[in-house]
Amino acid sequence: MSTPAIFAAVTGFDPLTGGEFLVAQNIAFAIMAITMLVSAVRMVTTGNVVHAALYLVIVLAGAAGIFILLGAEFVGVTQVLVYIGAIVVLFLFGIMLTKGSFGADDGVGGERRGIAAMVGALVLAVMAAALLDTFRDAELSRAEPSLTADVADLIFSRYIVPFEAISVLLLAALIGAIVVARGD
Amino acid sequence: MIAALTTPYVAWWALVPLITFAVAGFLLLTVASLVRRLPAVLAPAWTAVAGLGVLLYLVPMWSRVGRDGADSFLAGTVGVDRSSIFVTGILAVAVIAAALISRDYLPREDLPGVELYVLLLMSAAGGVVMASANDLIVLFLGLEILSIAVYVLAALHLRRIESQEAALKYFLLGAFSSAFLLYGIALVYGATGSTNMVRISAFLAQNVLVDDAMLLAGLGLLLVGLGFKVAVVPFHAWTPDVYQGAPTPVVAWMAAGVKAAGFAALMRVFVLTLGTYVSDWRPAFQVIAAATVLAGAVVAVVQTDVKRMLAYSSIVHAGFILVGLQAATDRGNSSVLAYLAVYAFLTVGSFAVVTVVSGTGDASHGLDAYRGMGRRHPALAGVFTVLLLGQAGIPFTGGFVVKLGVLAAAVDGGAYWLAGVAMLAAAVAAFVYLRLLVAMYLEEVPSGTETSGAVPLGALVVAVASAVIVLVVGLVPGPLLDLARDAVPVLVAG
Amino acid sequence: MSDYLRNWLTLVVFGGVAVLLVGAFLGLGSLVRPSRQTSQKAVVYESGVDPQGDMWSQSNIRYYVFALMFVLFDVEAVFIFPWATRLEVYDVFGLVEMAIFIFILALGLFYAWRKGLLRWI
Repeated sequence: MSTPAIFAAVTGFDPLTGGEFLVAQNIAFAIMAITMLVSAVRMVTTGNVVHAALYLVIVLAGAAGIFILLGAEFVGVTQVLVYIGAIVVLFLFGIMLTKGSFGADDGVGGERRGIAAMVGALVLAVMAAALLDTFRDAELSRAEPSLTADVADLIFSRYIVPFEAISVLLLAALIGAIVVARGD
Repeated sequence: MIAALTTPYVAWWALVPLITFAVAGFLLLTVASLVRRLPAVLAPAWTAVAGLGVLLYLVPMWSRVGRDGADSFLAGTVGVDRSSIFVTGILAVAVIAAALISRDYLPREDLPGVELYVLLLMSAAGGVVMASANDLIVLFLGLEILSIAVYVLAALHLRRIESQEAALKYFLLGAFSSAFLLYGIALVYGATGSTNMVRISAFLAQNVLVDDAMLLAGLGLLLVGLGFKVAVVPFHAWTPDVYQGAPTPVVAWMAAGVKAAGFAALMRVFVLTLGTYVSDWRPAFQVIAAATVLAGAVVAVVQTDVKRMLAYSSIVHAGFILVGLQAATDRGNSSVLAYLAVYAFLTVGSFAVVTVVSGTGDASHGLDAYRGMGRRHPALAGVFTVLLLGQAGIPFTGGFVVKLGVLAAAVDGGAYWLAGVAMLAAAVAAFVYLRLLVAMYLEEVPSGTETSGAVPLGALVVAVASAVIVLVVGLVPGPLLDLARDAVPVLVAG
Repeated sequence: MSDYLRNWLTLVVFGGVAVLLVGAFLGLGSLVRPSRQTSQKAVVYESGVDPQGDMWSQSNIRYYVFALMFVLFDVEAVFIFPWATRLEVYDVFGLVEMAIFIFILALGLFYAWRKGLLRWI
């Protein structure tokens, strides 16, 4: 008996199929969205760069969770592997390599905060208007989730040339990183 | 359950240019890793031969597409039509030219040799992907391959702080523009349900979207993303700094190759894919085109650094190409392609001359370096004169023919005001080239300027060949215009 | 969809249990242990030596090139997973394509090695 089945047996309520459509999904989404939102705000307001990077981890993890919730498990796992596993680590390396102190906020960019907030609000408004206008009250598709195997089928049929092109892209990035990093 | 998977159909013959560029890059990288001291001439020769091979292969490819019609494969993600062959040809020419200029440049600047050529070949492969993409994701991938290589190329002059600055600026703005482009693709996907260009255009032809805010937002973001790459106002701010700082052979590739691939992408995305929305995007294109030609020309006049001057002049050219593109007709498309071809020659030739004049250190780009060039280097000055007159669009040069083409396309579409603005800007921009000519022929050599020695062969070949081609196109424009007319961009469903 | 989410719910439950267990043990400890705070106890632990300066300090990471390369190979690894789920189906075709994919990036590793970047400095 799997864990959710035990859960359903104990509570008498199957969170995934029972009752209103996807109650559990909505609740999970709300938890993740609020966590992401709080972390995102903290990320841009905290004075410590290292803390900002760690808040970013929470935001990215929340995004991964939402991907999984939407049935895109491959994207979700990729998000964890690449972003949390590699990119944030690179961020921390970058912070270590810079000369500035990262203990406290020394007011960098403080005078532009107002403009930045305005731009952010504008982008949010435009995006929200566009998305709401198009989707209105459309329901989330109840279709089957796209599993990693489905992604594989697409990669190895329709997107086989782009797939090989990705390795060219990565190779170019690798050579570029070496050339710039070595500096000789 | 294990279902048998059939190997997808791939039209390998259409992928040869892409594979040639990529494999040439891999082989060069491998050889360079194995052999410590390569003969200095090997890498540029190899790169030029790869470009030449692609150029030669395009001839049978061209006639095959003419015979069998355009094709697409892999469920319509990659296509081949005559416009993509045409743009691939421009890219191949730009690769050859950049390789030849670099052959002299790298030893002079005492820079390590092979990476430039490897990255050049890879970015050319990315450009080919862009020119033949039938899917927005594939287009984005091509753009990224192209751009990442060029970011690094811009930083290649490791001892010049300006080069590092240029690379950083280009990288930051380029990364932003890529993000815009990707967001635009996502929104277009959300509105139409596909990233495939054929399916998007079919969807938009069959359905009238009541709520098209998302599609329009996506359209705008696509325009911003691609506008950065081709450097049109107001997304042009990086151009002068990057052109000034980046190594000159790299600038030749940026101006000729990257711009050609960028405009090919703009054409595929807007004219072909979003053609049904032309009444929505045309006004934006027209305003941007007018702003680009005017701002570029006016600011170019006050520049004192020749590389910056040429950067602003490239912005003017981008505006002109947009004037042809906004027509969204067959005539407009062919005028754009013809313009891109002639512009590629003009710009690689000009930057070849600039490379020679700049001297060791890639530093002397002021007008002083050009004063009295008519006496010191009569041949080089003569070639540069032809190229500058071509850029100005003086009759009997290729520049005139193609400028006429885009203006005619605009007038055809009824955009008289835009054609008027463009002509005005051309007149202003002519002043810039005139000023250089005056400096070369009428002004005295400043005292203390050493009379520099022999002109290196690679750059000379590029400059002379470009000047000759520009003149030939100006006198006998028929063949090029016929080629451009036949290079119809089409989307074929897979 | 619900089967799929059920599988992931297992993960969530396990994660929740892990957090709860840690919380419970730490909470229990803080209830039971005596608490006598002195300023000495708040000092950064420096293996018995008196600490100097702030506890936030940059260290020169010489092996950052490895981090750069790690990101790229991480992205490559991501594409190996979907292939692995359908290994039998793609058979030789998939094997060849994946071999090309890995080989191209391996060229970059080879280049890095010959450039002397993989030496420990």
